[in-house]
Amino acid sequence: MWALRLCRGLRAVPVPPVRALRSAVPPRPAWQHGEPRPGPQQQVTAEVLGQLEHLALVDFRDAEGVERLQKAIRFADQLREVNTDGVEPMDSVLEDRCLYLREDDVTEGNCTEELLKNAREKVEEYFVAPPGNIPLPKVEDQETFLQGS
Amino acid sequence: MKAEEAFPEQSLAPWVPVVGLEIHAQISSNSKLFSGSQVQFAAPPNSLVSFFDASLPGTLPVLNRRCVEAAVMTGLALNCSINKKSLFDRKHYFYADLPAGYQITQQRVPIAVNGSLSYSLCIDNKMSQMVTKTVRIKQIQLEQDSGKSLHDDTRSQTLIDLNRAGVGLMEVVMEPDMCCGEEAAAAVRELQLILQTLGSSQAVMAEGQLRVDANVSVHHPGEPYGVRTEVKNINSIRFLAKAVDYEIQRQIEELENGGTILNETRAFDSKLGCTVPMRDKEGKQDYRFMPEPNLPPLILYDAKSLPANMNHQQVVNIDWIHKRLPDLPSVKRAKLVEQYGILPEHSFTLLNEDGLAEFFENVVKQTQMKPKKVIGWIIKDLLSHLKQHSLTVKESPVSSFLLADLLNLLVKKDISSTAAKQVLAELWKGEGKTPLEIVKEKKLGLIQDQKELEQICQAVIDRQENEVMAIKSGNQKVLNKLIGLVQRETQGRSNAVLVRQILEKKLSE
Amino acid sequence: MLRASLRQVSAALRDGHVTPTELCQRCLSLIKSTKFLNAYITVAEESALKQAEESEERYRRGQPLGVLDGIPIAVKDNFNTAGIETTCASNMLKGYISPYNATVVQKLLDQGAVLLGKTNLDEFAMGSGSTDGVFGPVRNPWSYSRQYKEKSVPKSHSEDEESNWVITGGSSGGSAAAVSSFTCFAALGSDTGGSTRNPAAHCGVVGLKPTYGLISRHGLIPLVNSMDVPGILTRCVDDAAVVLGSLAGHDPKDSTTIQDNFKPFELPNLTDVSKLSIGIPKEYHAPGLSSEILALWSKAADLFKNAGAKVVEVSLPHTRYSIVCYHVLCTAEVASNMARFDGLEYGHRSDMNKSTESMYAATRREGFNDVVRGRILSGNYFLLKQNYENYFVKAQKVRRLIANDFVKVFGSGVDILLTPTTLSDAAPYTEFIKEDNRTRSAQDDILTQAANMAGLPAINVPTALSERGLPVGLQFIGRSFQEKQLLTVAKWFEKQVKFPMIQLEEVKRHDHGVFQHQKSASFS
Repeated sequence: MWALRLCRGLRAVPVPPVRALRSAVPPRPAWQHGEPRPGPQQQVTAEVLGQLEHLALVDFRDAEGVERLQKAIRFADQLREVNTDGVEPMDSVLEDRCLYLREDDVTEGNCTEELLKNAREKVEEYFVAPPGNIPLPKVEDQETFLQGS
Repeated sequence: MKAEEAFPEQSLAPWVPVVGLEIHAQISSNSKLFSGSQVQFAAPPNSLVSFFDASLPGTLPVLNRRCVEAAVMTGLALNCSINKKSLFDRKHYFYADLPAGYQITQQRVPIAVNGSLSYSLCIDNKMSQMVTKTVRIKQIQLEQDSGKSLHDDTRSQTLIDLNRAGVGLMEVVMEPDMCCGEEAAAAVRELQLILQTLGSSQAVMAEGQLRVDANVSVHHPGEPYGVRTEVKNINSIRFLAKAVDYEIQRQIEELENGGTILNETRAFDSKLGCTVPMRDKEGKQDYRFMPEPNLPPLILYDAKSLPANMNHQQVVNIDWIHKRLPDLPSVKRAKLVEQYGILPEHSFTLLNEDGLAEFFENVVKQTQMKPKKVIGWIIKDLLSHLKQHSLTVKESPVSSFLLADLLNLLVKKDISSTAAKQVLAELWKGEGKTPLEIVKEKKLGLIQDQKELEQICQAVIDRQENEVMAIKSGNQKVLNKLIGLVQRETQGRSNAVLVRQILEKKLSE
Repeated sequence: MLRASLRQVSAALRDGHVTPTELCQRCLSLIKSTKFLNAYITVAEESALKQAEESEERYRRGQPLGVLDGIPIAVKDNFNTAGIETTCASNMLKGYISPYNATVVQKLLDQGAVLLGKTNLDEFAMGSGSTDGVFGPVRNPWSYSRQYKEKSVPKSHSEDEESNWVITGGSSGGSAAAVSSFTCFAALGSDTGGSTRNPAAHCGVVGLKPTYGLISRHGLIPLVNSMDVPGILTRCVDDAAVVLGSLAGHDPKDSTTIQDNFKPFELPNLTDVSKLSIGIPKEYHAPGLSSEILALWSKAADLFKNAGAKVVEVSLPHTRYSIVCYHVLCTAEVASNMARFDGLEYGHRSDMNKSTESMYAATRREGFNDVVRGRILSGNYFLLKQNYENYFVKAQKVRRLIANDFVKVFGSGVDILLTPTTLSDAAPYTEFIKEDNRTRSAQDDILTQAANMAGLPAINVPTALSERGLPVGLQFIGRSFQEKQLLTVAKWFEKQVKFPMIQLEEVKRHDHGVFQHQKSASFS
């Protein structure tokens, strides 16, 4: 039971043999945190950073923000250690259940006032947005800290 | 139609235009795809919006069974394989009329795939020569419609109405098997008819219930497909043909001038009749598709896989739906041709106009005139009156009963065909008179009195000495002129055949 | 009486020993005097008293709605409550008054429960300390307990309570603190990676994470839709069963609730555990597990063994990857779920109005804190076309492996798994904030996250006090939809360990109650 067991993806941890314990609880950690892999690590390009800011409409704000992303990617890269050959992705634990269907009845709506109550800006019964959807300036023009890095 | 025939000006290496279509059809249902708010075209702004439609945090989608049935019906009518298990995904992009910041659609496994649609075209604009073509249907997917933005440039703002947000759509993707505007238009027209027959969508383009985006590219035969552009903002079938043909031409010219085609989205400007780049959709768009976590897989059943104990409200049975499909347009047309002996192109016209086939059949039932003759009156006379006054068949001031009545007079030879046209024009005024009353009033009845006719014929013969001489010397064609004169004399109230007989008899004496 | 359990106080209401309004007023008063805990964001005094009055009327007529009638409860501020502000502890939703009640809130109200207020959390439930919300951190009531004070060595008099207080854990820290400090008899939290069980462990209360699909999420502002569940925090396991009974069941408004019939149950008093098979997953001895907790875990295993149960070591080999997997799937869903916050229909809206996109960007910059924004950016990165297969789909595959680990173990005859809930007892705030949110979450969720991956029910049962006088809990994980079995075992265990009641000065002053718990020999 305490013998060395090489599981795929697990770093093997040597355990002192015998010393029979009464408890089933393992006396030592069953695994250790991996070293951050120097791996095939690409720095995220400024182009991708700009694209992300545009797609998410959230900015990195400063170098720390970018570093946070880099760390997140490095952390996520640990998934490569797991062998997932022949494994189907799992969307949801309810994948074997089927979707509930609703009858085609009108049961909602007609609450214009309630909805508009929470909108900071409105015009008559419309929600209101600024004009058009002018795309944000391209990466080169952006006045973000990205310029300085 | 081959490309070279469509664009004969291309004397250089021939171009093969390639056209595919993405058609969004609004599902005809009481409530929306994932929420219980009502589906209705015109309503006060934001009055048909539920908390879910407005993307209030914490709200969740619940699928409308009717929308599933509509998609299955449509898939079956288009010869698709219905996926018994299909999935929903989120497609992310920011836009003021998309409150959640994503649209729920079916990107990975849509509800129906691999179908086909047959449509017919006239060759060289001759109705008599029709050819049948097929376009492959790649897939049909269920997805949400977006809200509407109204641009108020004077006050520099955009007004957002979410009434349409969340309405169920079926996106029908047609493979790039078409090659010109006419084919695209014919395919869409046929799809429209099918949807209306099924009732799965009312498919009225003017009300935004059917929207078409065209994917257009050109290449030389034997070479790989060219870069394609997407053309949006097409509001009618007529404009679809124009937009596609314009874009094909534009691309050919661009390439022949040494330019390149950008993979971009263009809008069709109906006033100018051309396509222009859409500025708003620039930039590298990445929709970051992700499975919709709030919707487990959609499972459909057939007779074999039907579960024993399930609540039947939760079951959509493909076979049950299949059995109850109405006759599709192609079947209806074939039946009309077979039953009434009319020409195939006639059957197209009948089905093309909402209610016309029914009208035709009603007239046939109420008259002794043969259907092969009735059809002419429907397709030429009635239809042209309708078009002139921009009326639908339902709005026709002349009912099938009245028209049948009129045609009966014609069959009985009580009036000539010219007179009948006049009577029809009178009937169109909708003053409540019967055909017979009009005939009497306007004295349009054919002269039945043989003696009277003979007198008139004699009078003409007596007047037209030269013509009589010509006829007697062998020029039979001149007889037509005499007949014409008699007709004029009788104000069209003489039976031409009878007049000819009388004249011939007299002249041979 | 405020220290009584829910069932006890419910009986008292029925017997007329106390009225709903009295109870409500006492709780409200206690909330005021424990304000320094910062457990509540909004206290709905007026509506609560009104609800209490209505309950009282029903009791007078002898027609109470059920066990929950008149019971003061609190709800985490990421559940929609009509007419009461719902903020998710974010600037984005400050001042947002939802027009509808979450299904679980509605169910509680329909049963006559008295909603005292909305509790504090990490912004949008992202965090494991309840320290990262715009209304400030929640303080663990145990920081002010006699047990903790006795064990702590104050460096100097002035440094005493102010700098020494410990966190509640998170993200449902406010709810855990509210239950722990006796201001309410039950509270709703949410659990995505351990957000109910973690603060339950640190605050010494019972924290139940039900099976995914059992309780409706309609109205719960989502973090990760495929893993979120409403969580239940109570003082004892029986109470959790009562609340569960009133909340579980199919909701047509939530397509991820199962359609099977649910029958509320009463927990039997288990005496014979010999037929039980308890699994000890070895990977839950994770790096960093404190020796204290390790010892407690062992003792607990022995407890079962000595009582005749079968206790076996089992393996869930992919446990160590659940945090990485969670990291990818969570940030991706966050990126998606947060896309709706643009200021147009509700919530904060920036004054910037040059264009729709710039307005959106400014609104989101002003409305979200760094943690949220960081996750949105990371999530979008993993969803990019070029990354989707390698990160998102890969994580989904690993998720299946993790879920299969459990299936195998439960399939081999194990009924319940016994594990620690946290790596250590609650950290002092000043220590906790030294690490960034993501690192902390990754560390703290290690023992709780996998149950969310697999959708399994899990519960924290307070077990004993640590050397510092702070609560430590142990976790039981059960099979899908087998809450009855899970809670039965948890109840048996709870009875064995006799976790001590918190000794809070504030409460003593408020409580002239009928019910006084005996302080009995504790487990440690």
